[in-house]
Amino acid sequence: MLVFAASDKGGTGRSVTSANLAYQRALTGDHVAYVDFDFGSPTAAAVFDVPGAMRGTEERGLHSYLEGETAEPVRIDVWRQTEHPLLRARPNQSGRLVLLPGDAGGGEFATGEEALERCVDLLLKLNTEFDVTFVDLSAGRSYAVDMVLAATAHPRMSNVPFRWLVFHRWTRQHVIAASGLVHGDHGIIGGGVLSGHDEDTLRAAVRFVRAAVPDPESAVWSQGSTAQATWMQARDEALRRLAAEHRIGDSVVLGIVPLEPILQWHEQLITEEDVLSTQIANKETLDALEEIARRLTDDTHWGRL
Amino acid sequence: MAPRQSTPPAVLACGEIRTCLLPARQALDIRSAAQLLGLRPGERVLLSERPGLYARSPDTLTGVDCPLPSANGARVRAVGTVTAHAALTEGRVLQTSAHCRLPGTGPDQRRPWGEYLVRPGVVEPLGKLPHEAVAQGVLGGPRHGDLDVGLIADGLLTRVLRHPLLDQRPPFRSRPTRLRWAALPAAPGEGPSLERFTLAEDELRTVRLRVPEGTSDAGIAALCDDLALHDWLLTTVVRMLDGLRLGAGAAQDADAVVRTLRPAVDHLLHLWMPGARVGRRLAALWDPLEERPGFTRQWQALVQRIRDQLTLHAIPAAHREVEPAP
Repeated sequence: MLVFAASDKGGTGRSVTSANLAYQRALTGDHVAYVDFDFGSPTAAAVFDVPGAMRGTEERGLHSYLEGETAEPVRIDVWRQTEHPLLRARPNQSGRLVLLPGDAGGGEFATGEEALERCVDLLLKLNTEFDVTFVDLSAGRSYAVDMVLAATAHPRMSNVPFRWLVFHRWTRQHVIAASGLVHGDHGIIGGGVLSGHDEDTLRAAVRFVRAAVPDPESAVWSQGSTAQATWMQARDEALRRLAAEHRIGDSVVLGIVPLEPILQWHEQLITEEDVLSTQIANKETLDALEEIARRLTDDTHWGRL
Repeated sequence: MAPRQSTPPAVLACGEIRTCLLPARQALDIRSAAQLLGLRPGERVLLSERPGLYARSPDTLTGVDCPLPSANGARVRAVGTVTAHAALTEGRVLQTSAHCRLPGTGPDQRRPWGEYLVRPGVVEPLGKLPHEAVAQGVLGGPRHGDLDVGLIADGLLTRVLRHPLLDQRPPFRSRPTRLRWAALPAAPGEGPSLERFTLAEDELRTVRLRVPEGTSDAGIAALCDDLALHDWLLTTVVRMLDGLRLGAGAAQDADAVVRTLRPAVDHLLHLWMPGARVGRRLAALWDPLEERPGFTRQWQALVQRIRDQLTLHAIPAAHREVEPAP
């Protein structure tokens, strides 16, 4: 299965959350690929802690591949090449976790017919090899979004299942923006239909992930005053109504990632050790990531609503 | 310039093979296989049904003019053509294979292109060929811009995989492998020998051979295609068994085991026939591999393990079926 990770704005935690979902799937035994189509600001190498492995990928990353300058884009085996001490000891029974980085220093570029064919070649190849392939897309209606919409509508891809995750923060502006990215005049659904997708089928394959959501019930906020708590409750309810009005209400939410202090400081994978041994991460965060990772392939959370 | 009559004998042959599962739900029958591999209109696809279904495309030629890879840094430019073909075994395993042979010396200057075209599959150095260093360079992996027969095999694979006949629904997940080979001349009077077979990276294998003068490079390529096919089979089945969580004891265990192993039974177990398509002299090169590490021995152990697992998990299923309905 292909999973496209999109967001309207930067700073939504799209990359860090989808990298964590990839990690969680690999822990359950799936073979997982993570494709960094975040042209312009590739961050995956930092999240997976493979900066050393990135040296020398200037010419053989995804940009070079799509532009026909290299036949095979570089692959980084995360378990083997990470500098994260905990990830190095590849957990027993875990699947492969492979990063396909963008070119260091490569920006957005115009796509053509041949780049599209090469994109289809790549996605098909990954789909025969990996159980789940995450594709991290640049924020907004980018070339990357257009390209994968066209690729998934390509006749050669008609048997390849795909799903979309749209990440947004839990604020008024982010809710409106995320809805616009999907449902707006020039949104993913509209653009997809122009590329040849069936509207209902595409709509059924899109779910939302609310990231960095403060939970009013959480202990983090228990020190606050009653007035603050009441205000937060009211805002939360108002946001839920707003989301529902914008067709991104609870029924199309795949999961909610709570506000996690360590992710505010550092884009990283959250391991069990971070929760259990060093206790720098919250258990709720890890639980939420595990649950979203599980729901990705649980059909009861997908389909037309 | 007067055209040359002949080229000196080859002192190096090298090639690379990509092997992968055909991305189609059903194995292709012989007619579809011929369609898939009909790379050149008017040229026939080689088809054979004994001892198994096998189809091979006509050869394609790719012109090259670039430096040769070398282990000692020597930059030798070479010009000529590389031969490539695609093959399908039992309508299920797809291989593309590119190779060329190189004479010990070539003209000091580049000749008219027509002279190279009449020698298909020959890449001639400008000047003298440091064949040992180039063989090592080939096996070690060419640098960007050097002659890379692997790229030609990969290009052909990409082309075949775009064929509309393929529904892109592979019956199970698997990884492609690459096998790089280089064949150097054997000492006078010696027969062919396999100097080294290595598992270099996860999916890369390298093979270093010695062959008597006059051994056809098509014959060597056929041997290496065969090694690559069987190595892929072993690798793929080993990974399939690796993916099993045995002894977990859960009720869904049986389903998971059958779901994981069934593709091996459906698609792979009947493909094991080492040496079936290799000339008699070169087929002898299988012997050292059969001795150590023992390809067929490992294969038989895997097959036995798969059958035992399936038998074991058939037992509770049989019990479930005789349980009276409530």
